[in-house]
Order: sequence, then structure tokens, then C-alpha cells
Amino acid sequence: MILGDLLGTPVLDADGGRLGRVADVRFVLDGAPHQLMAEPRLLGLVVGPHSAASFMGYERNGLTRPYMIARILRWRHRGSFLVLWEDVAMVGARSVRLRPGFSRYSTALEDGAEA
Amino acid sequence: MTSAPAPLPKAPHVAGRILDAQLHLMDRQVLDHDGVPVTTVDDLEVSGPALDVEIARGTPPPVITALLTGSVLGTRIFGGRPPSSRLIRIPWKDVAEVGVVVRLGVKGEPLDASWVERWVRDKIIARIPGGRHDPR
Repeated sequence: MILGDLLGTPVLDADGGRLGRVADVRFVLDGAPHQLMAEPRLLGLVVGPHSAASFMGYERNGLTRPYMIARILRWRHRGSFLVLWEDVAMVGARSVRLRPGFSRYSTALEDGAEA
Repeated sequence: MTSAPAPLPKAPHVAGRILDAQLHLMDRQVLDHDGVPVTTVDDLEVSGPALDVEIARGTPPPVITALLTGSVLGTRIFGGRPPSSRLIRIPWKDVAEVGVVVRLGVKGEPLDASWVERWVRDKIIARIPGGRHDPR
């Protein structure tokens, strides 16, 4: 599938309740090794409850400058969370459904501070 | 004003480097192994999952198979995306490094992604007097 189709898709919990939209898709470089780089494996989806897309990733890294832009963008992306691939029950054309009892994780990138 | 919710737990640690599609890959410039610009990453192709099919527990996660590029200006402005057959693929096995730019480990010249540039060079620039040699 083409990843752009997944971005911005509404995310629903197992009961059909709306949680937000797919703001980003997280990959980890630990798949099958190739000659140059390993294959990026899908780790999970970053879900944003308030916005259709993420902009500049301030909610995921520890950056606080420029102060006003960081404050505004962090506020806009407040409540974002990461769901792992294991918790995704179905990817549809119009929505993504999660498994019952899915876990929310922080979207912070490892080299960034707690978002 | 409500009080701030409790911070979420950190995601389980993984050994490899983390790449967020939108943040680290999309719209990045692609350079070939000589540092010559090839294109930009307009989209990504992943190996799954099938749409509207229940994902069984334990299904291996999809992987990125190719970087996609093509004429996306119109769809960027008006929405949607070009049909999959019109997008040009750069296989992930050709990617050497992901940083501020995406570097390929191959020459850009023979890639499908640079056909417009080759066509303009061979059909238009080459017919302009002096267009077949380096400027002096």
C-alpha cells in the first residue's frame, strides 16, 4: 500500500470510538539487512487527537525554540500517542481500528526529551 | 483549564534507529552517491497490510519497499494522489543513508526518477548551439 493513504486516516478503538487521526507512521531500521541499509519495519502509528497531520514534530522531540512556535505546535499536537503495530486490528480505506485494550505510549523520540 | 494528564509510558526500547515517515523521510531531497540531486521523497510504498482485512495477531509488520516520486504538484494543491502506476519507485535497497537528505548508494543517471531531466537535456538543451559541451 501507499503510505500517504494511511496518513490522516481516522483511528477508532475496538468499539468504534474515535481517537484521532494517523499523524505519522513510525518505522525502525531493524528489518532484513540489505547491502546498504536494513529494511525499515513498521513499529507503530502516531495518533493525533486534534490535528490531521503532525507539523515539524515538536511534540516528539525536546526542542523548545523558537519558544512561541514550540508552545503553539505542542499545544496543537497535545494528547498525541503511539500505538504499536501489535495493537492495530485492521487498516481500512477510511479508518484504522485498534484492538481492545490497546496501549498508548509516548511519542517522544529516543533522542528527544519527554513530550 | 483542566489539569495536565499523566505522562504516557515510554515505548518499548528497540535496537534499530527510529524513522518517522513524515518527520524523517517525506519531502526530503534524494541525492545519488555522487551528491547529485535526483528527486524528493513524495510518498513511500509499504509491503502491507491489505486494506479492510482483519490483521491476525502475530502478523509480521510491513516494511518500506520503495521511495515514491512523480508529478505530484497538482494533487498537492487539489488533494488526492496520482494513481500508483504513475508514481516512480526507488527501491529501498538503493538507499544508503537517511539524514537531512536521503542518499542513494547508486548513480542517479539511470534511475527512472530522473527521466524528465535526461529528456530535457537530450531533446532541448542539446539542440541549442553550444549546448553539447561544458560552459567555458
